Amino acid sequence: MRLHFIAVLLAAGLGLAWAPNDPAAGRWFEDITQSAGVAHKHTNRTFKNPYSHIMSGYTALGAAACVADFDGDGFEDIFVTDSKEDGKNRLYRNNGDLTFTDVAQSAGVADGNDAENASADCLWFDFNNNGRPDLLIIRFGYSQLFENLGNGKFQEVAEKAGLLHYMNAISAIAFDYDRDKDLDLFLGAYFQPVNIFHPETPRFFPESFETANNGGGVMAFRNNGDGTFTNVTKEIGLEQSGWVLDLGHTDANNDGWDDLYVACDFGTDRFFVNNGDGTFSDITEKALGGFDTKKGMNAEWGDYDNDGFFDVFVTNITDDYMREGNFLWHNNGNLTFTDVARETGTYDTGWGWGGKFFDYDNDGWLDLYVVNGWVSAGKENYVPDIFEMIMRPNVDLADLRNWPPMEDKSLSGYQKKKLFHNEGRHSFKEEAGRHALDSQRDGRGIAVADFDNDGRLDLFVTNANAAPFLYHNSLPTGAHWAEFLLEGTVSNRMAVGAQVRIIANGETRLSFVNGGNGFAAQSTPRIHFGLGKITTVDRVEVRWPSGGRQIFENLAADKIYKLREGDQTTSILAVKLRKP
Amino acid sequence: MKRRNSILAKMISFLFAIVFAMALHPRAIAEDVSAATALEAALEKDPDNLRLGSEYRQLIIRTSQYDRALKFFEKLVQEHDNAASAHLNYAFAYVDKIPIAGSITQVLLANSALAQFSRSLELGPSWIGYYSRGNSYLYWPKIFGRTPLGIDDLKEAMRLQRGESKKAYYVRTYIALGDGYWKMDELNKAKAIWNEGLSLFPGNPALKARLSTQGDELKAVMDDAYDITKRIDTSLQELWADQGTQGR
Repeated sequence: MRLHFIAVLLAAGLGLAWAPNDPAAGRWFEDITQSAGVAHKHTNRTFKNPYSHIMSGYTALGAAACVADFDGDGFEDIFVTDSKEDGKNRLYRNNGDLTFTDVAQSAGVADGNDAENASADCLWFDFNNNGRPDLLIIRFGYSQLFENLGNGKFQEVAEKAGLLHYMNAISAIAFDYDRDKDLDLFLGAYFQPVNIFHPETPRFFPESFETANNGGGVMAFRNNGDGTFTNVTKEIGLEQSGWVLDLGHTDANNDGWDDLYVACDFGTDRFFVNNGDGTFSDITEKALGGFDTKKGMNAEWGDYDNDGFFDVFVTNITDDYMREGNFLWHNNGNLTFTDVARETGTYDTGWGWGGKFFDYDNDGWLDLYVVNGWVSAGKENYVPDIFEMIMRPNVDLADLRNWPPMEDKSLSGYQKKKLFHNEGRHSFKEEAGRHALDSQRDGRGIAVADFDNDGRLDLFVTNANAAPFLYHNSLPTGAHWAEFLLEGTVSNRMAVGAQVRIIANGETRLSFVNGGNGFAAQSTPRIHFGLGKITTVDRVEVRWPSGGRQIFENLAADKIYKLREGDQTTSILAVKLRKP
Repeated sequence: MKRRNSILAKMISFLFAIVFAMALHPRAIAEDVSAATALEAALEKDPDNLRLGSEYRQLIIRTSQYDRALKFFEKLVQEHDNAASAHLNYAFAYVDKIPIAGSITQVLLANSALAQFSRSLELGPSWIGYYSRGNSYLYWPKIFGRTPLGIDDLKEAMRLQRGESKKAYYVRTYIALGDGYWKMDELNKAKAIWNEGLSLFPGNPALKARLSTQGDELKAVMDDAYDITKRIDTSLQELWADQGTQGR
């Protein structure tokens, strides 16, 4: 294999008329899953214990993906989990031509499932700050941490790193909460740390549908800076016992410290503000106006209305039998939020899972894609069964023996995914059908990335018990864009938590480097801005996690810039093309 | 004569309670609590008074004391199991709490309301009983199989109202019965009953909205009408408006 180093000059057709809402423009996404070589099917875990017939209905999880350029060739790669006992996890190396090669086996990261462990989510994060993204696979069981050795190989170091804890984790993000220059790790666990493969008790299901507090909760691990971690959950104020499905971090009040939203199934989401002294405070009641009783499944931050504050999108269950509605928490700028899901038309996405903000048409406004569906099986509906249990007087919900087996019945299955085009400020228009993004598989996670470096954001979607989708964005050229890959020097190397503000043509846009937000999928660490007709970014302001600020001026559109902390020169991302 | 005296006594107690409540409301929460206490005392003396119970529930809604009302009506029907209106009020008290409840609790409340509507109907068939229970069934997703039960109740309410002089609130039965047919995918039947209603109640906006839309637009109208997160008006004001001050 020969490597060619080239500079990226990607966008063609500059100056073309731009009509993003022209109905004749047609479909802008193409399903290239098969041709790209990433079609390996996910399979749910089945259990071999006395409760397996009941558990199978509640463990259609573990279809996850995470994106990073693990080999530093300038193209973003994808790690994808399976969950069945002998299922292999996949590391799809990007060949640079919209095809991928599974190198998991040779890299040493394929074996994430066995009789005692089931892969549930994954996260790329540079835990040892050496510039190479390492790989965390969280599992129902013991998680795996693979150190990236830089030669295409990985080495399992979870025990050495102090991360060998038994838990039923389902969500992982990393950010530098204490601003000590390294990435700390935050895990969300669904079940309590009981061995669900061989449970000693049948009482490990949620005790309530609305206020359950017998879940796995949050675990926070401070990075000691020497390749090891310390569990600091309690001392930093994050101890709770909800049925956590997702964690989302950002600096909600722009004070330089990243805050945390915790989305919980069967009850109350939580919002923790970072006190700036290494601790968090639970200000849920003040921030969200009370405690919800919904089934939170996703915590995705983005400034959808371009007002300079990050808002958060949370999926819940909205179906005929349960009208919870999603949350789109508009950030009021004072650590309070107002739910505007109804007003913006983003309220109903069925049984929602992952939801991601991204600007798919490069018009400068964040759009929103949401996947959904719990179990798509036979024609019989499971809803009456579950409500028969719910209406039984004094039923002990924590005892899974009281839960009806799902068998081959469906529950909120065959739901169409939703793509909400941002029409400006506070209005979205549903466009999934137009772009053929309205699959009916049981979607779980969405990884957003620019896999072919063309400035148009693509989607990798995971589905439970089904093959994933890789959707290539084929938006007609003409709308401009800019991408930024940040490297911290004083800050953590991946610059997770860095905020980037661009000013172009008098308008300001805000984004940040996120450390894995959104259910079951980690998107690109690059920051992407759609620019519409604008060809020059007048000013780029970077606020690094260290607190340092840098300003870059007059950057041409349609390029992927590398910005290094403390270095005033900008460089264009270099890519290494692989040729046979 | 004896019955007239009884009615008079109940009216006096009702008016006393209302005047007492109005005199105190809404200066402060403490005053609301006092008003609720006074209305409870009046209801204990006159448990079968639908209007008094309704006034009490409206006060409860204004002051968000839903559990207080549920507890009160639970005790009231235990002590006066044959008071059909007490069971109706108890049912409405469950309905009143639904908008502020979680999605599962909503189901439990709705189910409890149905039980109380049914008990009321066992004690004495009434238009308000059949209409309310039938309408409640329509809020349940079709998968639960309760829509046909709702249609049956609404047909019975229709039979009762057809035997009486026209009242403004009878339009509700036309709306709801048509909605039931729509939910069962019997669009022709739905339109027929809505049209019949519109001929009797010209200009009714709910009927016009249903008859002027179709397909997804009609579904949106129905989704909005049966949105469980929106408060249902259980004040029964239309009953009193029609019956004057003597309504019970």
